[in-house]
Amino acid sequence: MLALTVANLKMLARNRQTTFWALFFPLILVVVFGLFDLSSVGAAGLGVVDQARTPASQRLTAALEDITMLRLQDAPADPAAARQLVAAGELDYLLLIPPGFTTAGPAAGPEGTGTPEPAGAGAQAGSEILPVTLVLNTENEERNQLVQGIVRRVSDGVILGETAGEPPATLVTERLATRQVSYFDVVLLGLVGMGIMTNAIISIAVRISNYRNLSILKRMLVTPLAIWKFFAAEVAAQLVLALVQAVIILAVGVFVFNAQLNGNVLYLLPVVLLGSLIFLNIGFILSAWANSPAAASGMGNAIAFPMMLFAGTFFSTATLPWLLPYAADALPLAPMLSALRDIAIHEASLGQVWPELAIMAGWVGATSLVAIRVFRFS
Amino acid sequence: MSEAIRVEGLVKRFGSFTAVDDVSFDVRAGEIFGILGPNGAGKTTTLEIIEGLQKPSAGRVSVLNLDSPGEANRIKARIGVQLQSSAYFNFLSLREILKLLGSFYPRRIAPDELLEQVGLADKGSQRVNQLSGGQQQRFTVAASLVNDPELVILDEPTTGLDPQARHNLWDLIREIHRRDVTVVLTTHYMEEAQSLCHRLAIMDHGKIVAIDTPANLISRIKTTYTVKLVTDIPLTTDQCLDLGRGAAVLPVSQEPDAGPSDGGQPYLLRLDNTPEALNGTLEGIVRGGITLKHLEIVPATLEDVFLELTGNELRD
Repeated sequence: MLALTVANLKMLARNRQTTFWALFFPLILVVVFGLFDLSSVGAAGLGVVDQARTPASQRLTAALEDITMLRLQDAPADPAAARQLVAAGELDYLLLIPPGFTTAGPAAGPEGTGTPEPAGAGAQAGSEILPVTLVLNTENEERNQLVQGIVRRVSDGVILGETAGEPPATLVTERLATRQVSYFDVVLLGLVGMGIMTNAIISIAVRISNYRNLSILKRMLVTPLAIWKFFAAEVAAQLVLALVQAVIILAVGVFVFNAQLNGNVLYLLPVVLLGSLIFLNIGFILSAWANSPAAASGMGNAIAFPMMLFAGTFFSTATLPWLLPYAADALPLAPMLSALRDIAIHEASLGQVWPELAIMAGWVGATSLVAIRVFRFS
Repeated sequence: MSEAIRVEGLVKRFGSFTAVDDVSFDVRAGEIFGILGPNGAGKTTTLEIIEGLQKPSAGRVSVLNLDSPGEANRIKARIGVQLQSSAYFNFLSLREILKLLGSFYPRRIAPDELLEQVGLADKGSQRVNQLSGGQQQRFTVAASLVNDPELVILDEPTTGLDPQARHNLWDLIREIHRRDVTVVLTTHYMEEAQSLCHRLAIMDHGKIVAIDTPANLISRIKTTYTVKLVTDIPLTTDQCLDLGRGAAVLPVSQEPDAGPSDGGQPYLLRLDNTPEALNGTLEGIVRGGITLKHLEIVPATLEDVFLELTGNELRD
């Protein structure tokens, strides 16, 4: 019994590839979940458009930065463009600091194209204090209340300082109506991308590695069949599978769980096909490195699983530390998810997602080159 | 067309290792040609170059008067290949696999006809992993026949099979040969080469050490008979010399393969290829008044040929 256990451990140690990937895989998950600041999932993104650029406005920005619940994000300098981001749901909140903002500047009305409403009971028109404007959308009313309260407290503190007496209003709110985008819709499109990715990578890596082990690739080579046709048929079958998979996932999402897809679903087709090609190529590359189907499966999982999480299938990648959000955007799944969501949720046309399509086409080209270079028949 | 395959000065190097070292031979149309040798002798590499799977480092190969690898595609259409340890798709039935393979060729035989030929007519809708080892091997032979080839190349078709299944496969190979198909096969079983092949190349360390019919190969070697005898009392040195007429007579302790001793003293004689040798030994037994407990005279086999040509025992 002990001897057998020792022998088993020996065999596991000697089958290094499989064992490595099996052990490595959960480790990756630990890293992934460690990196995502899951406690800050409820955090609110705040873009600040500082049109004043005075010490006072910088003090206000710095004070907001100290608030844990708020996560300061880059926003376009143009207030109109920044408002659009809020309306589209891509930015949670926007704070406009008007030109000439000081802690004791001349009065002026709030600017903006929305429907400004005075916030706070002590609002006074024509006050010496120039109020800042918080632009929000209708996505999450509970959070709106909370953020509004926090920002007002900060602006009060910074602008009014220790001023006694009836305080003038320091903050006005501007509410932009936005279409209700449920988290489920976002995740549903993420799952379409994820399903296609994991299936393409793992199934092709395992199949080809298995074919090689069984000498099936060699068997094909001794027939007059041009070998590219063998691979083309493999890819064609996988593309059909990817389309079926996308249709099933979307259909279940829409008809069973009432997801709302507003865009033209047919536009998803090229995105699905391009994405599949990238991940099939990655599968081919892995199959060249793996020396057993089990190792291919482990490697496939080790690549697919982190990519699923890091490319933003479930959570926004913005909470990642350091440069990782940019790294996450560089993953091949990221443009695919972005294009899928823009088309299905934000009704984008193919022309509007061309940057994503171009990036994906680049990935197809690059992975094809590597796959052709590293592939081996035996 | 007299030659199905012509190989001239074939060399294949893998880095500093020479797997095939200046090999030349012809396979005549319509014969069963065997390549016999131990594992690592270069048999499979030679076949893979003929099949167009590998490029030779030097030398020329022509198959059915077509140049390989230059005209590999035309060759592939006319030959059938069974690879060593090649399996097939797990999730297709036998019939589906044969149909798929047939679709790659301009000329093809119907799957059910092929299955009939190899005795698997009732297994058409089964999967490969549901077959026994012998059935799987017969199926891979069927798969090599899908294009009605003029030449089939079988790489160790019977390795790993039990004796019954091996004999079935021999019958199948003879049946294929009867239909005017040239057969090339590799084996490391002497018995198989001896009973199946019209001509035989013996390969060792990347070189061909002999090519001939099995009978000629056997008659060519010095040792034609091995005599095993067991006496009730040990022989004197003079008696030994008289028995062997100069041939070495080994006490059995030096010979691992001497057979039963029946409690007596076993001896083993290797006699050369002359009629006098055997007669001399038998006369010597009578003349010396030697009481035998056991006497066995075994004609030489390819095993002895291989031993004599290479100095090695042939092992699996």
